[in-house]
Amino acid sequence: MKPDNPEIVDRLASEYVLGTLRGPARRRFERWRAGTPFVDQRCRFWEERLMHLAKGVTPEQPPAHVWPAILRRLNLTTRQPALRRFRSFALAASVLLVVGVAALMYWRSLPALRATAVATISAKSGEHVWELEVFGNADRLVAHAEKLPARLPGSDYELWALPKGAAPVSLGILPAAGASSRTLTLMQKQALANSSQVAVSIEPLGGSPTGQPTGTIVYVAPLRAPS
Amino acid sequence: MNPVAESPTEFDELLQSLLGRCAAADSIALKRLYELVSPILFACVTRILRRRALAEEALQDVFISIWQQAGQFTAVRGRPMAWMMSIARYRAIDLLRRERFAPMLLAEPPEQRAIDAEPDSEASAAVWLPSPDLMKQCLGLLSDQQTHCLELAFVNGNSHEDIARLMGSPLGTVKSWIRRGLRSLRQCLES
Repeated sequence: MKPDNPEIVDRLASEYVLGTLRGPARRRFERWRAGTPFVDQRCRFWEERLMHLAKGVTPEQPPAHVWPAILRRLNLTTRQPALRRFRSFALAASVLLVVGVAALMYWRSLPALRATAVATISAKSGEHVWELEVFGNADRLVAHAEKLPARLPGSDYELWALPKGAAPVSLGILPAAGASSRTLTLMQKQALANSSQVAVSIEPLGGSPTGQPTGTIVYVAPLRAPS
Repeated sequence: MNPVAESPTEFDELLQSLLGRCAAADSIALKRLYELVSPILFACVTRILRRRALAEEALQDVFISIWQQAGQFTAVRGRPMAWMMSIARYRAIDLLRRERFAPMLLAEPPEQRAIDAEPDSEASAAVWLPSPDLMKQCLGLLSDQQTHCLELAFVNGNSHEDIARLMGSPLGTVKSWIRRGLRSLRQCLES
């Protein structure tokens, strides 16, 4: 119940400030005060007057460890910067160690990344033009350009899988230099799995516009297991 | 600035300024505030809790509250010392309840006052108090029993039951002394 009578409000406020209002009644009064400006005003009236009752209390210096404890609880500690720097360094080192160990465990848990098939595309002269590596476990095809012959301007070399009993499936444009690595689609993986050979055709820049070889097949090479 | 040389009004202004800086997260102001008021606040919570370790914990809580609520004080514009002392006393009373400590009665005989020095002595001239003239005059109108009850409750945190035992008086009588004493004070202060 919240009395409307100002005298009752004032009596409750005075006993609350004095400290004789106890138990659940004190809790209820605190909630009432928090939401009622008039009650709060009466409490402040009594707080400012009754503190005269403590005028005879002799001040007592608190122990020296209380102030640092307050700073710590407020995260305001400014002392012992060297110790704090060491703690920061130790924390960073610990994080790096944990991350490093986790990365090592993850790396070691991975299956060995080994090619499942390779092919060497060679010119008639015997010079290697491209080396191909198929990583079936990782769905990747890596092509290394070795020594390319001169090619016609405005053309690309396109690689094809030649699955048995089916049309060629494009494996993408071969690099003119360096190496390329591409992710294989499911269709490309299946095509490679059913192929014993790959072929290279000359196509317009960007590859065959039809999805099938449109230019001259210039190289054919067997797929073989890696040695 | 030496707080002992300041008049209460100047002291109030100093505390208000420091609280304003605390509201702006100035930790140096909090340290200065601690130096100025922690002795009286520590004495107050120690009188109520009567265990130094608990009083130290309470004092930490009090200054954390002051730091976190300093912005609210500047909006209220009350007396800073009354505001801080209330935080301290209420925290101590809460700890008494939450820690379920059985109230320990003071060892002093009932006739001894709850305060450490006579109000009129030079030693009791507390710099943190505003001008005591009106309050002194109003307290002078109370009976000795009424004044003693109020001091035991406010300073020592004693409950009605504690005070009745300390004074060897019936509980109803003690409640009546306190109620009439507070009513007389209000009538005097607002007359």
